[in-house]
Amino acid sequence: MDLKIMNKADSILFEHSIYSGQTPFHMNKIFFAGLGLVVAMVVQAKVPTTPTAPERFGQLEKAEEPSFRRHILPLFSRVGCSGRECHGAFAGQGGFQLSLFGYDFAKDHKEITADTEEVRVDQKDISKSLVLLKATNQEKHKGKERIKPGSWEYNLVHKWISSGAKNDTEKTGDFDRLEISPKEIVFKKAGEKTQIRVLAYWKDGTVEDVTLFTRFRTNDDSVSVVSATGEVEAKDKGDTHIVAFYDNGVHPIPVMLPVSDKVGASYPKVATPTKVDELIIAKLRKLGVVPSETCTDAEFLRRVSLDLTGTLPTPNQVMQFLADISPNKRTAKVDELLKTPAYSAWWATKMSDFLGNNPRVLRGNGAQNYGDKFSRQWYDWLRHRIEKNEPYDKMMAGIILATGRTKPTQSYEDFAREMSSYFRAENPASFAERPNMPHFWARQNIRTAEEKALAFAHSFLGVRIECAQCHKHPFDQWTQNDFKSFQAFFGGISYGNKPPGKTGDEKVTFASLTKEIREAIPADPKSGNNQKGLGNEFERRVKAGEPAPWQELFAIAKAPSKLSEREIERLKKQNPNFDSRVLTPKILGGEDVLLTEFPDPRTPLMEWLRSSKNPYFARSWVNRVWASYFNRGLVEPADDLNLANPPVNQELMDHLADGFIKNGYSMAWLHREILSSATYQRSWKANDTNKHDEKNFSRFVIRRLPAEVIVDGVAQATLSTDRLASFASDIEVRAIGPNANAGRGGKGASNYSLNIFGKPVRETNCDCERTSDPTLLQTLYLRNDPEFLTSLEQARGGSSWVEEIRRQTSPVVSKTKQPAAVPEVKPEPMNPDRLIEQVFLRTVSRPPTALEFEKARIDFAAAASPAVGVRELLWAMLNTREFMVNH
Amino acid sequence: MSIHTTCDGVSRRDFLRVGALTGVSLSLADYFALSSQGAISGAAKGKAAIFVRLAGGPSHMDTFDLKPDAPDTHRGEFKPIKTNADGVMISEHLPKLAKCADKFAVLRGVSHTLAAHNLGTLYMNTGNRPLPSLNYPHYGAVVSRELPGIQHLPSFVAVPSLAENATGYLGVEYGPFETGATPQAGKAMDVRGLALKNGVTIEDVDRRQNLIQRYDGAFGAFAKEDKVLAGMNQFGEKAYSMMRSPKARAAFDLSKETASINGLFGTDAFSQSCLLATRLVESDVRFVTVSLGGWDTHGDNFNALKNKNLPTLDAGLSGLFNALAAKGLLETTAVFVTGEFGRTPKINARGGRDHYPRAMFCLLGGGGIKGGQVVGASDAKGEGPKDRAITPDDVASTFYKALGIDNRKEYNTPTGRPVMIVRNGTPIPELIS
Repeated sequence: MDLKIMNKADSILFEHSIYSGQTPFHMNKIFFAGLGLVVAMVVQAKVPTTPTAPERFGQLEKAEEPSFRRHILPLFSRVGCSGRECHGAFAGQGGFQLSLFGYDFAKDHKEITADTEEVRVDQKDISKSLVLLKATNQEKHKGKERIKPGSWEYNLVHKWISSGAKNDTEKTGDFDRLEISPKEIVFKKAGEKTQIRVLAYWKDGTVEDVTLFTRFRTNDDSVSVVSATGEVEAKDKGDTHIVAFYDNGVHPIPVMLPVSDKVGASYPKVATPTKVDELIIAKLRKLGVVPSETCTDAEFLRRVSLDLTGTLPTPNQVMQFLADISPNKRTAKVDELLKTPAYSAWWATKMSDFLGNNPRVLRGNGAQNYGDKFSRQWYDWLRHRIEKNEPYDKMMAGIILATGRTKPTQSYEDFAREMSSYFRAENPASFAERPNMPHFWARQNIRTAEEKALAFAHSFLGVRIECAQCHKHPFDQWTQNDFKSFQAFFGGISYGNKPPGKTGDEKVTFASLTKEIREAIPADPKSGNNQKGLGNEFERRVKAGEPAPWQELFAIAKAPSKLSEREIERLKKQNPNFDSRVLTPKILGGEDVLLTEFPDPRTPLMEWLRSSKNPYFARSWVNRVWASYFNRGLVEPADDLNLANPPVNQELMDHLADGFIKNGYSMAWLHREILSSATYQRSWKANDTNKHDEKNFSRFVIRRLPAEVIVDGVAQATLSTDRLASFASDIEVRAIGPNANAGRGGKGASNYSLNIFGKPVRETNCDCERTSDPTLLQTLYLRNDPEFLTSLEQARGGSSWVEEIRRQTSPVVSKTKQPAAVPEVKPEPMNPDRLIEQVFLRTVSRPPTALEFEKARIDFAAAASPAVGVRELLWAMLNTREFMVNH
Repeated sequence: MSIHTTCDGVSRRDFLRVGALTGVSLSLADYFALSSQGAISGAAKGKAAIFVRLAGGPSHMDTFDLKPDAPDTHRGEFKPIKTNADGVMISEHLPKLAKCADKFAVLRGVSHTLAAHNLGTLYMNTGNRPLPSLNYPHYGAVVSRELPGIQHLPSFVAVPSLAENATGYLGVEYGPFETGATPQAGKAMDVRGLALKNGVTIEDVDRRQNLIQRYDGAFGAFAKEDKVLAGMNQFGEKAYSMMRSPKARAAFDLSKETASINGLFGTDAFSQSCLLATRLVESDVRFVTVSLGGWDTHGDNFNALKNKNLPTLDAGLSGLFNALAAKGLLETTAVFVTGEFGRTPKINARGGRDHYPRAMFCLLGGGGIKGGQVVGASDAKGEGPKDRAITPDDVASTFYKALGIDNRKEYNTPTGRPVMIVRNGTPIPELIS
C-alpha cells in the first residue's frame, strides 16, 4: 500500500517549525527615521528581493498584467469585499455575491465578469466598471470607499480588466507556501511599530512579495495590532501571534513585548530540572517573566491527587506525605497515583467527554433502550485500557476501526449471542475485554457522514472543521471541498439492522430473531401490538445469554460517489456557494485515497493518524492532557488545533508529542513527563512579573474543581473515618466513576449538583461543554442547599463523620435490653484539636495554621456539642475558596 | 492607507472575549459589570417576561383556533364564544380568558415541521430550528444575559424546572434557578438553596457567613486580583444577600399575597405557579417559566380538555394576565404561551388528535404587545396557514422585540462561531406598536 497523503501535513509542520529556533538568524536594529527610537528587535531571515505591489502596479501604463488568482481575488479579500458581512455573506450583498474570504476562483470570476449586463466589468469603458465605481464609492456603496481612484489597487483592477479580465487559476498552478519576515518580533516598548513582509512561493517557482495582498490578523489585540498593510504595533506587555492569510497559506509569527527588564542576560538563574522546564523557561526568559517558587508539599499532594485521580488525598495520606523525607517523594507519588483505581476512573471519564460517550444517544436495539448500559460498557472498556496503560494509538484504533462483529468471520447469530452474553444474568462476559468498542460510531447524533466527520475531527484530531461545512474555514486552510472530501471516508459507516445495500446469505439475522420474538409473544387483542411482551421476551433472551436482535455497526468501502441531485439541491439550499463535485475521499491536508483498495474505509484514516508526521493525532491528546493540568492547552482552546492558532510554546508541543510517540503512545509517560516538571509544581503565588501570566505557565493558575471532583470531595470530607479510607477506590459510588453518567437525562437529585457544576452532557463536539466557571447556583448549593446540608450529617456513599462523632460523644441509649455481660461504654472526651485538624485535612488537605487553630478552638468551644462543632467547621471549610479550587 | 478590514467581521480576539463569558480565565470579575450593562434598547416596554409552556402540544382546533364550519371529521365538540375583544373567538371552555382577551393576542397559523416532542420543544423554546451541531439557548438564558439582573434574586427562575441544557451555547451562568417544586396556595415555598431548611435560622445564616470570613483567607491579597477567586467572592455575597433578603423570601411566599390577587387564581399547581410568576416579576426577576402538561391527547381529547386541561389553563392564565394588570406590571411584562405543536385537525379513531406542527397557535401579550386581536390564520380545516405562515422564529423575534432585544444580535459560541439570537425571524408588525 502506497499512501501519499502527507504533502500538506508536511507543510503544516514545516510552517510551524520555521520559527522553532533551529534556523540561524541575525538580529537587526532598525531605526525609524524621524522617530529616532530604537525599535523592535526583529529576527530577520534572508529574503530574495522582489518588487512590491505599488512598484509593480502603481503606474497604470507600466503595470504588469495582474493575475486573478494571485492579485485580484486576494485584493478583494484584503480590502473586505468578500467578508462575512459584505459580499461574502451567503446571500451576497446588493446582488453581488463572492465566496467567503475569496477562495472559489471559478465562481467568483464568473460572478465578477459574467453578470448579464456586463456592468461589473466593462471592457469598453473600463473606468465605468461597477467593481471600480463601487469600490471607490464613486457610485453609492454601502461598504463605503474601499480603494482610492488612481491608487495602485485601482490600477491593478483597471489593468486586469483591460487585459481581458481573465481567470488564470489553472495557469498559476498550485500554491506552495508563505514566508514571512521577520520570523519573530520582540518589541521593546508599547507604541513601537514594525513592518512585516510576506512572500508567496508557488509550485512553478514564482516568488512574489504579496504583503499587500495578504489579510492579517492579530490573535490578541491587547498585546499587538496589525494594520491592513502588515504594520505591527506593540500595544501592551505580553505575547501573541500575528497571522497572515494568503491563498491557501495561513502563517503565524510570534510577537511579544517583554513584561519586565529581566530579559536575556538580566534574567535570574532558574533551575530547569526537566526538558519541559527548559523549554518553558526559554520562552519566559524572552518575555521577562520570572516563574513562581515551588509549591509546598501539601499543595503538591492535593494538586496532583485532584488532577491525576480526581480525588482529594485522605488525612492519613497528607500526614504521611508531609512526614516523608525522601527527596524524590513527589515523583514517587505520581507513580503511586498512576496505579490507583481512581486514576483510571477519572481519566476514563475525561476520555468519555472527548469521545462523546452520551447514554442518551446510544440505543442498542430499535425497541430496547440500552443507552445507560452501553455507555457503561464504553466507560469500562476505556478504563480497563487506561488501567493497564494500553498505548493510546492502539486504544483509539480499537474505537476507530470497530465494527459490531468482533471478527470478520463472525456470523450474525454469534454476534447476537455475544452481545447478549455481556448482559446475561449468570457469569456475564466482560465487554471491557472485547478487542474493539463500537459505540462511538453507533451514536444517534452522528448518523450522517457529515456528522461523523465532525465528531471524528473533534475527538481524534482536536480540530474543528464545522466552518468548512458551509464555507472556507476562516482560520485554517480547509475549504468546503476539503471537508466534503474528508467526509467521504465516513459514508460507509452505519449502525442498524442490516448492512446497507447487501442481502446477506445468513439464516439468522436481525429480522429472523425479531420474527422469533414476535412469534413467541401473542399479540395484544386490543391494540394488535404487544410492545411490553416483546420487550420482556427480548430481555429474557438477553438474560439467558441467547441471541437477541441487536443492531450492529457496519463499515463498508464505498466507491467515490457522485452526489445525488437531491443531495446537491439540499447542499445548495444550505449554501449557495456550494460547488457540486464528485467526492473523492481525501484526508485533511493530504491526498486522495482510493477507498476501494481498503475493505474498511477507516483503515487509511487510522494509518494516517499513526504516521509519524501526523500533525494532529498525538498533539491533540498531548494538548488535552496539558490543558487538564494547566487550565489551558499549549493550543487554546484545547480542541482547536488550527494553523492560525499555534501553540504558545511550539518547541514544548513538539517535545511532548514526539516523546509521546517515541514512548509508544504511553499515557503514563506523558503524565509523568508533565507532572514531574518544576513547571507543574509552581506555586500559585505570583510575583511582579507573572501575576498577569495565564498562558505561559509561569505560575499555577487557580481554577475551580471539576463537577465530579467537587461532588466526590464533599462526600469524602464528610464520610466516617472507616469509610473515608476506602471511598477513593470505590469507583462504583464515585461521581468520577462510571455511574455518574448514567441517567443524566433524568432530573434526579444526585444529578443536580453535577449539572450546576458543569459536568458535560457530551452532546456537542466541543471540550467546552465541561465548564469550570463559578456561578451563583454553585455558591447557593454549597451555602444552603438541603442536599448539601443533609450530606454533612448523612454522607453520600456511607455513614457520616459527624454521626460517628455524635455516637462517640453522647451516651449510648439502648432501646433493646442489652445482656448484662456487655458493660456500658462511656464515651471518651474528644480532643478538639484532633477534630479541628481532621476538618482541615479532610477539606483543604493540610493541617491548620496556628492562627486557624486558635480561631477554631473558639468556635468549637461555642458549639453545642463536638458533633455540631465539627459540622459547622466542616460547613465553613467546604465553603472556602481554598476547598473549591485547585491551587 | 485608511482601509480597515472591518468587513471581515469578528476578530479572533473578540471570540476570546465573548468566549470568556463561558470560558474560565478572563471573565468573572467582569461578569456583574457586563450583566448590569446589558445590551438593550431603551425604547421597549418589556422589562421582564413570563413563558408559559403547554407541554405535550395543545390542540389548536379546540382552544384558540376553532373551526365551527369544518366537517364533522375535524370540527370537534367545542363551540367558539365571543370574547371582550372584537372579533376574537375562543373555545367555550375558556370563559375566563374570554373576559380578558384584550390583554393578549392570539397567533394562528403558526407553522413548523417538527412533530416530535423534544424537537418541537427545542424549536418553540428557542425560536431556532434545532441543529445537531449547535444547542441554542432558551429565551430565558438570552434574556438573563441581555437584561440587567438584581442582587437579591436570580434573573431566570424556572417553576418548577426546565429541560436541561436551557443555556445552550451561552453557558451555565445564564441557566435557570429551578424551584424544584410547584407552590402551594397560601404557603411559603421551600426553594432549593434559598429557603431556610434543615433547622437553619437567619441567625445561622449570619453566623455562617461570619465563619466563612474567618476561614477563607488562604489566598490573602491575591484573592482580589485573581478573577476566579474574586468572582467566587461576588457570588458568595450575592448568595448571602439572597438568603437573607426578606424581599427574596417574600417573593416565594404566597401567603403574603393579597386576597384580591389570590382570588384571581385557582388553587391548583398551575394557577399557583402563575401567581408565583407574577410575584417574582414584581420582585424584579427578569424571566420566569411556568409549565402545564397533559396536552398530548392522542385519545379522548375532548373529555380531557373539557374536564381538566382547559379549566386549569383558563384559571391560571386569566389569573396571570389579570394579576399582572392589577399589579401594574402588564405593560412591562411580556407573556408568551406556547406548546411544541398543534394537533391533527382530523379526529382519530380513539377520539384523539395526534401531533401536528403545521398549524399551531401561540399567545403573546403584555410588554407593549398589542392584545385583543387575532394575527395570522389557518385554513378552513385548520390544516395549515391560510396565507402567510407565521414561523416560530417570527414569534420569537416579536417576543424579543417586546423586551428590547434585537433578534439579529450576534453571539459567538464557545467554538467561535458567530450565531444570531434568532437568525430567520422578523418581528410581527401587527403586534408591536
